[in-house]
Amino acid sequence: MTERALALLAQIAIVLFLSPLITGFSRTLKARLQMRRGAGILQPYWDIHKLLRKGMVIPETASWIFSATPYVLFVTTLLAGLLIPTVSAQAPLSLYGGVLAVVYLLALGRFFLALGGLDTGSSFGGLGSSREMTISAIAEPALMLAVFTVALSAGSTNLSVVAQASLGQSWRFLAPQQMLAFAALFIVLIAETGRIPVDNPATHLELTMIHEAMILEYSGPYLALIEWSAAMKQLVLMTLLVNVFFPFGLSIGWSMGTLLSLVLFGLKLLLLAAAVVLVETTNAKMRLFRVPELLAVAFVLSATALISTFLF
Amino acid sequence: MFFWQDPQFGNKMITLMAALVLVIQILMVSQRWLVTNIRAFGVQSLLLACIAWTIAYFNHAPHIYWVAALTLIFKAGLLPVVLERLVARIEIRQEIEPFVNVPLSVLVAGMLTLLAYVVSESFHRPNEPAGHGLGHNTLAVAIAVFLIGFFMMVNRRKALSQVLGLLCLENGLLLAAISLTYGMPLIVEVGIFFDVLVASLLLAILVYRIRETFDSMDVSRLSRLRG
Repeated sequence: MTERALALLAQIAIVLFLSPLITGFSRTLKARLQMRRGAGILQPYWDIHKLLRKGMVIPETASWIFSATPYVLFVTTLLAGLLIPTVSAQAPLSLYGGVLAVVYLLALGRFFLALGGLDTGSSFGGLGSSREMTISAIAEPALMLAVFTVALSAGSTNLSVVAQASLGQSWRFLAPQQMLAFAALFIVLIAETGRIPVDNPATHLELTMIHEAMILEYSGPYLALIEWSAAMKQLVLMTLLVNVFFPFGLSIGWSMGTLLSLVLFGLKLLLLAAAVVLVETTNAKMRLFRVPELLAVAFVLSATALISTFLF
Repeated sequence: MFFWQDPQFGNKMITLMAALVLVIQILMVSQRWLVTNIRAFGVQSLLLACIAWTIAYFNHAPHIYWVAALTLIFKAGLLPVVLERLVARIEIRQEIEPFVNVPLSVLVAGMLTLLAYVVSESFHRPNEPAGHGLGHNTLAVAIAVFLIGFFMMVNRRKALSQVLGLLCLENGLLLAAISLTYGMPLIVEVGIFFDVLVASLLLAILVYRIRETFDSMDVSRLSRLRG
């Protein structure tokens, strides 16, 4: 009993405190690739710390939804993080739900975020919400189909079972349907975390922003919670990619060997983050109406992956 | 024995690279920029050369090494450079304008892949001894690349992007040939090879002429008479 509680606490700590590090790492790497010095890797931690101590401005027109959104977003993202195996193949809350729960917990958070953007009645918030919903309406089926491909070969939608199954079969990730599903999920990762061909996380130009437009009215601790959830969502999706497709070094239970797994997990995440940053620096942002084309590619790739699983 | 000498590993690498060829083909359908399309074709040919090399290595078929080398030199090296120069010289607009819009084209490409899998199913013999025949997976990819190449030719207006479609189609043919039969006799391969090479070089010149005469590469304008 205490062991399970400890595992839960450890996973909460990993999800909460590793996520700003990944964000900071990709920002610094991006700055270096653009020949800038950039802020330090730890900057997101300082940002969150500073924002949490500040006061808030809440628009007069805002209803209770505006205040509820940051909490709902934070809690749903954290819960999704607890359903995914990070360093141990056994995720602490895996008994309570599989990959469907993860996808829909994230969708619930996104739903509230879009409502929060609409709630204040400012035009930018509504614009951001509608754009976010347009993109996620295509990204979500692609994500589901890609994950189902993996779940089919493992025989379960429970992510812990999937990770353990793929631990057992070495070289399985070389199978073509895995390759197609990975490519699809990579595009979905870029779209869902708002990276450059789709959305620019550093922009403050109203015409182009998606995520930033929705959270334009938030400030202080609420903004800190939202930024932190965005970092956690990125960690959750990246973990889904690295641990489902490349499950090297996942430990079975929680023991001393887990420390080694933690190091390996960190390395895998950093590699994936570096790949995303490379895509980000070598591409220009797409026009908004071109984004569905990119996501259509992801959708077709994952549908092909799923179909080729059946036709084997 | 090292793990890379294991035929199982070879088979897996071949299927993996074939899947990558398919991914690149779908990306080419979705990509609007002509130059990116040409480079994607170069990468696809490089992968094809790797597949040919792997098949040659694991099946002790020395003449396939020649296929691999020819593919590497001409299709991954020479043709992309020639085509890119042509694009730079005739200063065309860089975007491809397909008849069917891009999301729908990608969906069509997905359907064609599905069709390819269904067709290649009939070539599948599950009780064939392992290591003999590369399985219908590579064949399915080959047919898919062939069909999508054909679709690209039909779907695009510009002569140059139709040439690209033809080249992709030929890539699919080559993949089907080496994955089904471990290569035709070398002389046939070389024949097909130079046929395509000469055809694409001729087409490149033709494209230049079309552009000179009509001020456009849109082949639908060719139906108009000109004195």
